Amino acid sequence: MTITHTLDGSRLTLLFEGRLDTNTAPQLEEELKTALNGVTHLTLDFAQLVYISSAGLRVILAAHKQLSKSGGMALKNVNKTVMEVFEMTGFADILTFE
Amino acid sequence: MRNTFLKWLFLFIAAAFLLTFGVSFFIQTEQARENAVNSIKLKMDDVQKQIMENRENIAVIRAIADASALAKARAFAKMIELKPSLLNSPRELENIRVRLDVDELHVSNEKGVLIACIPAEYRGYNMAGSKQSGAFMPALTNPGFALAQDPQKKGINGEIFQYAGVARIDRPGIVQIGYHPKRLRDAMEVADIEKLYAGFRIGKSGRIIIAKDDRIVSINDHWFIGKSLQEYGIPPEQLRTEDDFIVTIRGTRYIAMARNYEGYTIIGVLPHSEMYVGRNDMGVLLIVCNLVLFAVVFMLVSFLVQKVVINGIHKVNRSLEKITKGDLNERVEVKTNDEFISLSNGINSTVSALKDAIAEAKARIDAELELARAIQISSLPNVFPPYPERHEFEIYAAMQTAKEVGGDFYDFYLIGERHLAVLIADVSGKGIPAALFMMTTKTLIQSLAESGLAPAVVFTEANRRLCENNEMGMFVTAFMGILELDTGKFTYVNAGHNPPLIRKAGEPFEAMKTHAGFVLGGMEGMSYRQYELFLDSGDKIFLYTDGVTEALNQEQVLYSYASLEAALNTENAAQMDVRRLLEHVSQELDRFTASAEQADDITMLALEYKGRRDQ
Repeated sequence: MTITHTLDGSRLTLLFEGRLDTNTAPQLEEELKTALNGVTHLTLDFAQLVYISSAGLRVILAAHKQLSKSGGMALKNVNKTVMEVFEMTGFADILTFE
Repeated sequence: MRNTFLKWLFLFIAAAFLLTFGVSFFIQTEQARENAVNSIKLKMDDVQKQIMENRENIAVIRAIADASALAKARAFAKMIELKPSLLNSPRELENIRVRLDVDELHVSNEKGVLIACIPAEYRGYNMAGSKQSGAFMPALTNPGFALAQDPQKKGINGEIFQYAGVARIDRPGIVQIGYHPKRLRDAMEVADIEKLYAGFRIGKSGRIIIAKDDRIVSINDHWFIGKSLQEYGIPPEQLRTEDDFIVTIRGTRYIAMARNYEGYTIIGVLPHSEMYVGRNDMGVLLIVCNLVLFAVVFMLVSFLVQKVVINGIHKVNRSLEKITKGDLNERVEVKTNDEFISLSNGINSTVSALKDAIAEAKARIDAELELARAIQISSLPNVFPPYPERHEFEIYAAMQTAKEVGGDFYDFYLIGERHLAVLIADVSGKGIPAALFMMTTKTLIQSLAESGLAPAVVFTEANRRLCENNEMGMFVTAFMGILELDTGKFTYVNAGHNPPLIRKAGEPFEAMKTHAGFVLGGMEGMSYRQYELFLDSGDKIFLYTDGVTEALNQEQVLYSYASLEAALNTENAAQMDVRRLLEHVSQELDRFTASAEQADDITMLALEYKGRRDQ
């Protein structure tokens, strides 16, 4: 999985490409530790994300909790497969989609 | 390290340089001073010797001149005895003067009055009339009298002139001759103290000064002749010792020495600057040589250190870096010298020991994980049929674990006599944390369910408790249903889990209609909705985790929900009991994944309602 960062002031957009699963979730977790410094708004662009597992959901939930105290987190370009996972797990009810 | 070393090396060499230079500068200074003093001393010795030699020369010449003058006077006296009449003949007197090669001739009578003279105008002069001529008066009474006077300057023209005289032979009287002592004059001129300075120079611009009675008599600057030494710049108190001293003469510093000889004061002076010329030249040479030498030493040592030590250390560091990054197969091989061989061997044996220790620890951890896995699995109900005396339902469950400890689990238990709870769940993540979270969840839900709470209440409460102290941010998706055995009423709740499939009599398996609530433990304050449906005899429910639908084959293709539904709905599957059904799905799955490694736990549970006990 590759993650591309685009920082605009305190707004960070991460573009995902590949699978967000048990193997790649720690990478995202590690990157967010440093990337979220001073960031108030986080947008996750899932246009190129093909799969998400529960490990990936865990990291997204953690980011969501962290950013809900500042500006918030939103997801965009979520494909059908991934959206189904969000719906099935109830994440669709708590996350913001653009 | 290299920089530190070079810094110290530089400091050390600089210190050595300064020390060498300082010591040799000090020695050179002492030497220069000693040389200066010696050279002044030698010159003064020479001056002293010159004065002495001059005096001796003059004395010898004087003795010869005196003897010759007296011989001439005696010859003249003999001539007068032989021919007294010549006294009256100026022509004969002049003749004699020329023959005797003298300038003046004087002859007196018995009273000392001159009776015959050249020059003639002295005739009648009484010899007793002056101190100089009076010295010859004893000749009047002493026939053996002879006197050669000291040469002295004539009052008239300052020329050096000498008189010699004897007693007359024919009768009492004085015979005297006067002459210019040419050789003596020449010798005296050579011996002139005033000109002595010119013959002696000390070094390049050092010189000799001679004084008599504190008046300068010989010096290069004629203006100072006759001036006192004090006026010239040499204080008199310095003249008392023979040690060297420093004076400043017209703005220039000199090292000087003085000595007294035969009434003269001989002073030698040498400019201070000149004294140290040799030392300064030597100093410059020394600095250049030392700089070259030390630069060579510095570069050589630095080069050797680089070659022998630094390169070795860098090599060791590179290996250590690899080892630190986890490559325990890296070996340090620096064999440049004994110390590095020892260091390399030390590191290699340490790494090797570390590797063994890690392997041992890994084996132990693996064993413990396996044990944990075994405990985890054994905590699930795994005896089938679990309730042989019960005829209202058939249940079968299976969990095919992945290599790593996962967080899947299923559960079922009777609540009282009339209710059966079934549960399937999947904890996010893997490993020991997931396993522990699973055990907690399982126990928590069971205790809540067994206390008779409705499924939605059980989940709401379980969520609340799981959110407490959940620093790891773990969560679990879960589906739970409670079957009322008497009526077939199935009450269920879903917390983010894959919806189970249901097969009503005569229909295919299809997804159960649920609206998924949020996962358990993910967020505080979540509440869950429960749904209900009624099962008739022969209806089946199939619960599973995403390990089934997301199983991958070697082409990284997901098994998918559609495949699962298809497998459940194959023609002969309709006749299968729950155990066969699960085995069938399992086989289908194995066929799909083939030799691909299983990444996640695969958990399935199937329940068939057989109808009321009394039916």
